[in-house]
Amino acid sequence: MDFSRKHVRSDCEALLRRFQKTQSVRFEVFSNIWKEMKFAQIFSGNPNNNKEFYHLILDIAYCYFLPPFSFQIRVGGLYLLYSTYHSHPASTSEQLQIRVALKDWEDVKNFEKDAMDAQHLDVVYILKRLMICKALQFTAMPTLLLYRTKRNKQKPMLCEQFIERASRPQELVNTQLLEEMSNIGELYKNMKTSIISQTTTQENAFVNLIRKEIVPQLCTTVLEFYNWQQGRDIIDEHKNSHERTSSQQEHSKRAELLASIKSKAYGEASEASKSRRHRQAERSFSNEEDGSFLKSRHSRLMKPSLRNRTNKQIHMTGDLGKEAIRATLISQLVTMDPALEEKTKNQRRFKF
Amino acid sequence: MAAPERPEAASSSSIPDYECVNVNSKAFHIGSFRDEWLKRLQPEDFSFQQLDQDAFDAKFAAEMGVREETMAELRAVCSADSLRCHPEDQEPDKEDRQTVGMVPETKADMLPEGEVIVTVNIYFPTNLGKFNGVRPRMTLLLTGSHTLADLRDAICCVSDLQVCGEFSSTPDMVPDFISKFLPSFMSLLLGSSTTIEWAKSHNYPSFSQAKMEDTRFVDLTVKLGFPYLYCHQGDCEHPVIITDVRLVHKSDCLDKRLYPLLTHKNRSLSQKCAVCHVFIGRWYTTQDQFAPSDPCLFCDKCFRMLHYDKDGKKLGEFLAYPYVDRGAFN
Repeated sequence: MDFSRKHVRSDCEALLRRFQKTQSVRFEVFSNIWKEMKFAQIFSGNPNNNKEFYHLILDIAYCYFLPPFSFQIRVGGLYLLYSTYHSHPASTSEQLQIRVALKDWEDVKNFEKDAMDAQHLDVVYILKRLMICKALQFTAMPTLLLYRTKRNKQKPMLCEQFIERASRPQELVNTQLLEEMSNIGELYKNMKTSIISQTTTQENAFVNLIRKEIVPQLCTTVLEFYNWQQGRDIIDEHKNSHERTSSQQEHSKRAELLASIKSKAYGEASEASKSRRHRQAERSFSNEEDGSFLKSRHSRLMKPSLRNRTNKQIHMTGDLGKEAIRATLISQLVTMDPALEEKTKNQRRFKF
Repeated sequence: MAAPERPEAASSSSIPDYECVNVNSKAFHIGSFRDEWLKRLQPEDFSFQQLDQDAFDAKFAAEMGVREETMAELRAVCSADSLRCHPEDQEPDKEDRQTVGMVPETKADMLPEGEVIVTVNIYFPTNLGKFNGVRPRMTLLLTGSHTLADLRDAICCVSDLQVCGEFSSTPDMVPDFISKFLPSFMSLLLGSSTTIEWAKSHNYPSFSQAKMEDTRFVDLTVKLGFPYLYCHQGDCEHPVIITDVRLVHKSDCLDKRLYPLLTHKNRSLSQKCAVCHVFIGRWYTTQDQFAPSDPCLFCDKCFRMLHYDKDGKKLGEFLAYPYVDRGAFN
C-alpha cells in the first residue's frame, strides 16, 4: 500500500489542482471534473486489495479536508471524500467508513460554520448528508496505528499552492488591538505628566515603561508584510507583461504606499473571510478620514514566488547568505526561531 | 489470577493526539475519550437508525431557509448519480463477511449506541530465521465494557495447551491439558510484582497494579499504536498493540454475544512428522538414537512404531516430550 500511496496522492492533487483553477466551490464544478477525469476508474484496477486501497484514498482525501489547506481545497477534500464514498461499488454493505478523529472535530465544525455563514449550500448539504448516511466513524486517531517506526521517514510535501495564506499577523494586529494600545499609551502619558508635574525632582522624567511609537510601528510592519504578500502574487502575475502595465502597477503600488503612510493611526489590512478568499483578495484600507476602498485582484497564476526566484538567481554562500536572510524584517516574521525549532525537534523522543 | 499494570500517566488528556506522527499516540483515558465524543455529537449522529432522505431534505430546508425549488436543485446536483462516469456496468462485489451488519434478535443482546470499540492486535512469536516480513497476529474487536480477562481468554496461544514433562517411559499417560496456575499479566512493557520491585530498585517511576478481571477497557489509559506486553505461562510473551479506539457504528456487528470478535488471524504452518510428512507432529524427541536429527518431530504412529515394541516397552535411549503444533488453532 505504501507503494500506491505516492501515486494516489499525486492523482488527488491533480484533481484538486484543477478544482482550484476553477476558483469555485460548487459541487457541480467538482463533479464535472470528476467525470472528465473518470476518477471513479481508480477502483477498477485491483479488486483484491480494494478495501485497503479504498481506505488509503479516504485517508489521503481526509488530509485535504483539514487545515492548513485553504477553504477551497478543504471543500475539494470534502467533495473527494463524498465522491469516493459513493463511487466505491460495495460501500453500502462493507464496513468502509470515513474516519474522523476527535482532535479534528473542531476543525470540521469551524469549516461547517464558515460554509454556513457564506451560504455555500451545497457544501453544507454534502457534509450533513455524509453524517446522515452514517458514512463517518468517530475515532481516536485518523488512521490505524501499528507502531511502524521503520516506515519512510520523509514527510510528504504539502502542496504549497493549496495551503492557506498566512494571515496571523493581520489577525493579531487588528484595529481593536491598536485602538486599545493607543488608549493605554495615552493614559500612561497623562499619568506620567501628572506625576512629573507634581514632583519636584527631574530624575523621573526619563522613566519610560513603554516604547513611544509602538502603535504606528506595529501598523506599518503589518502593512509591509501584507503588501509583500500581495506584491509577491502580483509580481508573479505580471512577470511577462509589458512595461506599460508594470509601470502602471508600480504607480498604483506607490500610491498605495503613500496612502498607507499618510493614514498614520489606524491603517488596516483586512482579509476577506476565509470562505471567499479563493475568489478575490479584497484589500481595504480604512483610516479616520477616508472610507475603505476595495481593489479587485486578478486571478493567481502558478509562477514561482519572488523568494524562490531570488534564491535561485542570487547565490549567497555561507555566513553572508545566512545573515542576509536573517536581516529582513519580513523573514523574521515568517520563520520560526531556530532555538524553538530545535526544541520541538527534540521533544519527539520517547520518554519512559 | 494476577495482575496487569499500567504506569501512572503524568497527564493524559482525553483528546488523543500523536506522540510520534503515524507511529503512536499519547496516552489517553478511553472512558473520557468516549465522553468527549458524546458531548460533541447529537444522539442521531451515532445512532444505528438512519434518517430517511426526504425527512433529511425537509429538515435541511427548514434549518437553512431554502426554498423548495432550490432544495430540489440541490438534491439533484449533489446526488451520487451525478458522479457516474459511465453506465452501471460494474457488479458490486459482495464479499462474504459473516459478521458485517449482524443484528441480534433480542434487544438485550444489542450493543448500546455510543459504546466504544477497541481493536487489538496480538502478535505471536516467530522463528527469526524464517521471518518473511509477515508477523503472525490475531486481531480482536472488544467493547469498552469488556475486561482484560476477556481479552486474555480470547487469545489462543498454543503454549496454553503445552504439557511439560518427559514422557518417554509412559507415553500413554500424557494428560490432554494441564491447568497451570502460573499468573499471566499485561503491561506497558514492565509488570508483575517482581518487576515492580526491580523497577523500584532501579529508580524507575513507580507502577501500579490491578486485577485483570476488574479492569475494563473504558477505565484504561492507553497509547494507541504503542506496544504492550502480554505474558502468560511464565515465559510466553506476546506484543499487544491497540490499533484503534472508536465509537460503535451501524455497520459493525451489533450482537454483544459475539464479542470479543476475531477479525483476522494469520494461519501458522503446521509442522509435519519427519518420517511420514503426512500427519502433524505430536512428539518431540532429543538425544534420540533412532532419530535422523536432534531434535526431531514425530507423529504419534511413527513415534510408537519406531521407539516402542509391540508390547509397549521402550526401546533404546531417548527423551520424548509431547508437542503442540503451532497451527493447532487454525
